[in-house]
Amino acid sequence: MNWRIIGILIAKDFSLFFRNKLFLVLTVIGFIFYVVIYFVLPSSVNENLEIGLYAPVALPAFTEIEEDGLEIAMVESEEALKEAVIEGTYVAGVALPADIADKLIKNEKPNIRLYFTPDVPQEMKETVAVIIRELAYMQTGQALNIETSEEILGPDMTGTPIPPRDRLRPLLAIIILMVEMMGLANLVSEEVERDTIHALLVTPMSIRDLFVAKGITGTGLAFGQALLFMAVVGGMSGQPLIILISLLLGGVLVTGAAFLISSVSKDFMSVLAWSIPAFILLIVPSFSVMFPGAITDWIKIIPSYYLVDTVHRVANFGSGWGDIWLNLLILLGYCLVITWAGITVLRRKFQ
Amino acid sequence: MSLKRVGILLGKEFLYGSKGYIFIFAIVAPLVLSFVISLIFGTLFTEKPKLGVLEDDRSELVAMIQGLDTITTEEYSNIADIKHAVETGAADVGIVLPADFDSAIIKGEETEITAYIWGESLAKNRTIIAVTITNLVREITGQESPVNIESITLGEEISIPWNDRLLPVIVLIAVFLGGLMLPATSLINEKAKRTLDALVVTPTSMGEVFTAKGLVGIILSLFMGILILVINQAFGSEPLLLILVLVLGGIMAVEFGLILGILMKDFAALFTVWKSAGIILFAPVFIYLFPEIPQWIGNIFPTYYIVQPIVELSQRGGSWPEISIEVFVLIGLDLILLGLVMFTLEKRQPLTA
Repeated sequence: MNWRIIGILIAKDFSLFFRNKLFLVLTVIGFIFYVVIYFVLPSSVNENLEIGLYAPVALPAFTEIEEDGLEIAMVESEEALKEAVIEGTYVAGVALPADIADKLIKNEKPNIRLYFTPDVPQEMKETVAVIIRELAYMQTGQALNIETSEEILGPDMTGTPIPPRDRLRPLLAIIILMVEMMGLANLVSEEVERDTIHALLVTPMSIRDLFVAKGITGTGLAFGQALLFMAVVGGMSGQPLIILISLLLGGVLVTGAAFLISSVSKDFMSVLAWSIPAFILLIVPSFSVMFPGAITDWIKIIPSYYLVDTVHRVANFGSGWGDIWLNLLILLGYCLVITWAGITVLRRKFQ
Repeated sequence: MSLKRVGILLGKEFLYGSKGYIFIFAIVAPLVLSFVISLIFGTLFTEKPKLGVLEDDRSELVAMIQGLDTITTEEYSNIADIKHAVETGAADVGIVLPADFDSAIIKGEETEITAYIWGESLAKNRTIIAVTITNLVREITGQESPVNIESITLGEEISIPWNDRLLPVIVLIAVFLGGLMLPATSLINEKAKRTLDALVVTPTSMGEVFTAKGLVGIILSLFMGILILVINQAFGSEPLLLILVLVLGGIMAVEFGLILGILMKDFAALFTVWKSAGIILFAPVFIYLFPEIPQWIGNIFPTYYIVQPIVELSQRGGSWPEISIEVFVLIGLDLILLGLVMFTLEKRQPLTA
């Protein structure tokens, strides 16, 4: 293997890649766009229902309740309560009447007013009404003879829920890798289309040098950007080495896919046409992270699942080598198979 | 005009045009934009709490939960399935009701519910599910609510969530990206390759060529407009009127596209016009986005007469009387633009790059 020739070829490929204005724009603007999307999305999740309460009399069930997910704040007057609701401080305001305690003792039904802003959905109004009704039941001492045995499945994230933007992180990293897949596929198909590939092969460069150079270019472009993205959005803070290896394998995976795509593409438009189905397929596993439970186990046959799952578990749950080694092993297997297949079909095309 | 020739040209436009970058972009861009806006402004992340239920006997509780709008409920047939659903997040909480649950609670006998809780579920979702179930059990046992509850909505104006406010932007992009850019780029491409010159020496007339290119743009913009409205569940109660507005909007977009296609020499010039003059097309939606801006300003811009009926029909539950004036103005604008297309074409003959 001639590393000097490989180096020259890599430099040429980088130069060609950045000469295609579309991919240059997609690369630079896209990267900024992904980072902006990440930082625009909420950085935290409000996992509590925040309710304002005006209570002229102290009712322990209302004023002293301590329940996960429910945050009841006392407000001095009904007017202040209305203002706080309009300002969005609380999702709902609850105003207890002054005679509530007397009426409850007399078994009469006091009238409780709930205040909402117009944009609060109907189901939220119903939910708050159900909660207040339940607190009233508790205040009147009406018990139920039901025991509940609870079992938490998976790590209990109460108090530290995963923000939407961190759920989106694997998807954005995958998109960055995919765009580079298109870039490399276009680069290779251009070489074939212009027949420069055969010109290269009559030089001292071997076909192995050619694939090594293309592989390094593709993996480098994809891996470099995905790595930079993860570093910018804080995905490298927990287990940087695992993320690094996962993204490197992701880079190899899309390079193999790019070889496959370029083997069936004739020009830029056919690269786009073949890339879009591959893009959609490889992106699907990210949705299992964003919308848990929305997709069934069949996604495990898609190679990018093992990349997405690893990035998600490591970056969002702090998983270590012991938890994700199998993922990396399967991903490596997919990388080897897809890259081998890509090289084989592309080599046939060259010859 | 020969309909057969228009049909052949239309087929050609779809066959070759659909492989073009602009065609793909006109489909992908509005979908991606719609998805991103949904993500950012919360439609996709504001799901109701999800409850999984496994019961030995038919319990009234399950039927009551299924009738609620506040919780999404799914029934499972065995422990393994319900645990798997909770583990993967398909359910926030999964409850297993014992046999004779209803009779036990009605008799006041002690009974036990097993609850599997997804570790990642939000605390408020867990609370909502627990409180709701308790409330329903009380109903089954005949306990009467000790209080009356009155819900009061504060504020006179209905505030529109941001993802709803942004819907007209996406619809307009969907209609204009396909409707304007597709005929414009197609014409510029044909001028550059001189294939138009070749076409008009055949019995095909320029009118037939323009009709075919326009139809492709209208069909694509209509398809994308409908798709975006369906995805955003904003089709309203007057779908036929909405389609009529989208068709008229698509015609306007195509007419702008054909005029640009005739006038512009190359893609660079077209994209420069799109970037600089695009603000005129999208001005009404920005005015709609910010209610603080005097709304009458929007009436100056032609696309106002597309945006206003779409908003009225899809978000405000409007019908024909509320949109009739805008629709007639839109028809008038389409006719004026049609005249402009014919005038520009006549002045620019022969069409060469």
